[in-house]
Amino acid sequence: MYGWIWRHLPGNAWVRALISLLLALAIVYALFQYVFPWAEPLLPFNDVTVDNGLPAGSAMTEWR
Amino acid sequence: MRGRIAATVSVIGELLITAGVIMALFVVYSLWWTNVLADREAERQGNQVRETWAKSPSGPGALDTKDGIGFLHVPAMKNGEVLVKAGTGSKVLNEGVAGFYREPVKAGMPWDKQGNFTLAAHRDGHGAKFHNIDKVRKGDAVVFETRDVWYVYKVYADLKQTSRYNVDVLDSVPKESGKTVPGRFLTLTTCTPVYTSDYRYIVWAELTRTEKVDAKRTPPTELR
Repeated sequence: MYGWIWRHLPGNAWVRALISLLLALAIVYALFQYVFPWAEPLLPFNDVTVDNGLPAGSAMTEWR
Repeated sequence: MRGRIAATVSVIGELLITAGVIMALFVVYSLWWTNVLADREAERQGNQVRETWAKSPSGPGALDTKDGIGFLHVPAMKNGEVLVKAGTGSKVLNEGVAGFYREPVKAGMPWDKQGNFTLAAHRDGHGAKFHNIDKVRKGDAVVFETRDVWYVYKVYADLKQTSRYNVDVLDSVPKESGKTVPGRFLTLTTCTPVYTSDYRYIVWAELTRTEKVDAKRTPPTELR
């Protein structure tokens, strides 16, 4: 997979390395900016309040 | 045939490595990057509250709850001041502030004659304002600062691990802390053990005195 990408990048080894680095940075940016903020509430690592386990939006303005 | 199997195995291997790297990045995001963002946001909002206070140092407007009602100081947690805002939804808490409960049990306010001022904040990530809650001991001071008054509380009980559904800890007279008559209490809640949220950690404090804020905002002796 990565070998395939490497072979399809243009230029010599240095240009390819630079493009790879930029691609990696773009992916990290997308993860931090969009993917992780979306995934975080779905994962059970960061609930800090006590609640009575009612489903969200049960006639409450702000649950939790 | 052999070449195809080898290629498939190598793609699977690369995908596994990628998954590992993404999970490591998620840890970096959770434990570091969210703190950077939240601390930045909390400082901006805290400055805003202090500016509003400076603009109208007396008279009405002290309890304007939109931007935040005041600052929590817990010297034992060694985390400076924590802005306190209304609500405990993740949108509020992710700004690196502590929120007072509106659901499921409405918090009493420090200036009420009696009640329980119940707060929640993150243990890790998003400012991690209550990270050191386990360093808080009985007898430690907890000070809440509003525009006009310092409310000085003293910790008298804690619950190192309780169910996440234990909303009784938020009662205006929290029985589990050993209290049976109404008073002016403060409750800190966050998740425990660190880095997870299986249980909740509770600290209770009781008001010992209040101090008027002077012109120089001299902090009470507990904070000096």
